[in-house]
Amino acid sequence: MHYISKRQRVLVYVVLSIVLMVFLVPIYLIASSSVKPTPIMFQKPHAFLFLPTLEHYYSVFTDRPFFKFILNSLIVALGSTAFSLTFGTLGAYGISRIKHKRMNDVAFWILSMRMFPPIAVVVPYYIIFKTVGLLDTPLALIIVYSTANIPLTVWLMKGFFDEVPSTLEEAAAVDGHNVFDIFWRIALPLVAPGLAVSAVFCFIFSWNEFLFALMLTGSKAQTAPVAVMSFWSSDAVQWGRIMAGSFIILIPSVIFVLTCQRWLVRGLMMGSVK
Amino acid sequence: MSSISLNNVFKRYGAVQVLHGVNLEILEGEFAVLLGPSGCGKTTTLRMVAGLEDISDGEILIGGRIMNEVAPKDRGVAMVFQNYALYPHMTVQKNMEFALRPLRLDRSEVERRISKTAEILELTRLLDRKPALLSGGQRQRVAMGRAMVRTPDVFLFDEPLSNLDAKLRTQVRWEIGKLHQRLGTTVLYVTHDQVEAMTLADKIVIMRDGYVEQVGTPEEVYTNPKTIFVASFIGSPAMNLLKARAQGGVLKAKDFSINVTDIFKKCVHEGQEITIGIRPINVSLCINSSETSLTAKVDVTEYLGNEALLNLRVGNLELVAEVPAGQRVPVGSTVQIEFNNEAMHLFDTASGQSLK
Repeated sequence: MHYISKRQRVLVYVVLSIVLMVFLVPIYLIASSSVKPTPIMFQKPHAFLFLPTLEHYYSVFTDRPFFKFILNSLIVALGSTAFSLTFGTLGAYGISRIKHKRMNDVAFWILSMRMFPPIAVVVPYYIIFKTVGLLDTPLALIIVYSTANIPLTVWLMKGFFDEVPSTLEEAAAVDGHNVFDIFWRIALPLVAPGLAVSAVFCFIFSWNEFLFALMLTGSKAQTAPVAVMSFWSSDAVQWGRIMAGSFIILIPSVIFVLTCQRWLVRGLMMGSVK
Repeated sequence: MSSISLNNVFKRYGAVQVLHGVNLEILEGEFAVLLGPSGCGKTTTLRMVAGLEDISDGEILIGGRIMNEVAPKDRGVAMVFQNYALYPHMTVQKNMEFALRPLRLDRSEVERRISKTAEILELTRLLDRKPALLSGGQRQRVAMGRAMVRTPDVFLFDEPLSNLDAKLRTQVRWEIGKLHQRLGTTVLYVTHDQVEAMTLADKIVIMRDGYVEQVGTPEEVYTNPKTIFVASFIGSPAMNLLKARAQGGVLKAKDFSINVTDIFKKCVHEGQEITIGIRPINVSLCINSSETSLTAKVDVTEYLGNEALLNLRVGNLELVAEVPAGQRVPVGSTVQIEFNNEAMHLFDTASGQSLK
């Protein structure tokens, strides 16, 4: 950044620091509060130095079957991500490759599903799942989350497929490959960064979602975010446990994003066409 | 090896017709070049043969079999694309293997074919590299290798040299020529570069605006162009084209008049608008003025080593003469020039057709 002056550079760092604070302070508060003894939790001035305790973590796992809730969350998030990537990618490939004057309308129609306010459909979903006997099952959440994730995946992946030069697929077609081979062995490997981005978005949305999880699950399929909120009752708000639970919920998201990150590489298409 | 036939082939995109009834016969083992300027329909024609474009009307046969409804993969063709279209996530070896996969050959045969092809194209030490690490010329050879390993009935080339620099282009052109001699496979090759066409082709197909203008050997299209377009397109420097009118046995223009030979007199009628075609090499300088010579002023000279190009002006008329380098004259001087009437081409200006 040798082309900006020292003053501008200072300004850049000030702005960056503010932005970082906005993101990191809540995480600090969650992490520190989760290991802070209850009596000094809300002490003023804020206690920066204290003897950390794992009592909140202990009670999170002993009061409730929290492992089960995390497992539920994982099943729902991974299931919905897999489902959305499979169907979203196929849909995106079709929309990207089929030349038809109304194809843009179809693409917009798919995206418009994402614009629907979730609160408006909670009750209909509840009635539907109750009728078909899927209430309080992970499958119900997988289906609901996929209706939000598939449109997003279609839109993201369409952009990536559009970037794959059509001559690569034509070359494969002339070489004797059928359309499934071409999709699987040529197009898909070249949109790996897109798959990684889509997977991150789908996973995080499904992992964090609260409203549908609260309304459509009971004790069996309850997910971790809903379980955390159950520490907030009319009798008492168990801040320590809420913070410990929240911190535990953060971890799988971070691991998943870091795993996907290595696929987020540029320049995959280099050398294919001049 | 297979022959290729195009019978009255049309191509339309909606209301726009880009090919208007193309007829073409390419014999087994022949090297045919589709030549023409951008937008003349040559690449569309090639892609229709490959099966990458639908045929609006007419039929295409490969090896005597109608191909209109046959998928590209079942046509027995291999294609080298203008931009090479190498699979970027695969090594050179994998690129070739992928082309062989549909043939379901056993492993040893795959290895044998790849190593043989790599040897011919000098790719052996590049087999483990990915396309991003190859130079333009190497990528081009990989693209050719990928087509060759399949030992197809027909090779299709879509301007394969247009992305290479001048020196490499000559070298690869030479290699393609050798390759055709060695393999003897039928080739359909698209280019807008007449040098490629003239040097490689057994048969040149010159296209313009979706029509075939002329089909012939390189020598035929050079020495006997059927239309003004072919005359102007083939040959470098381009043929001089002079407008004149037939009047009393001579061709008259504002700035000159030319006596035409008896052969031409038979096919020219009085008052006809004529375009005279004369190649620069057939315009010569003469020392003295005579009945047949024209007075010209030298506008520009271009020294090319063995020969020189003189850009001349006769009245308002501009033309080019190609003379031995030793004969070049200073810019601005006045010279006498003469046409070699034997080498002159006459075209009907209205129809553009040759009168020979």
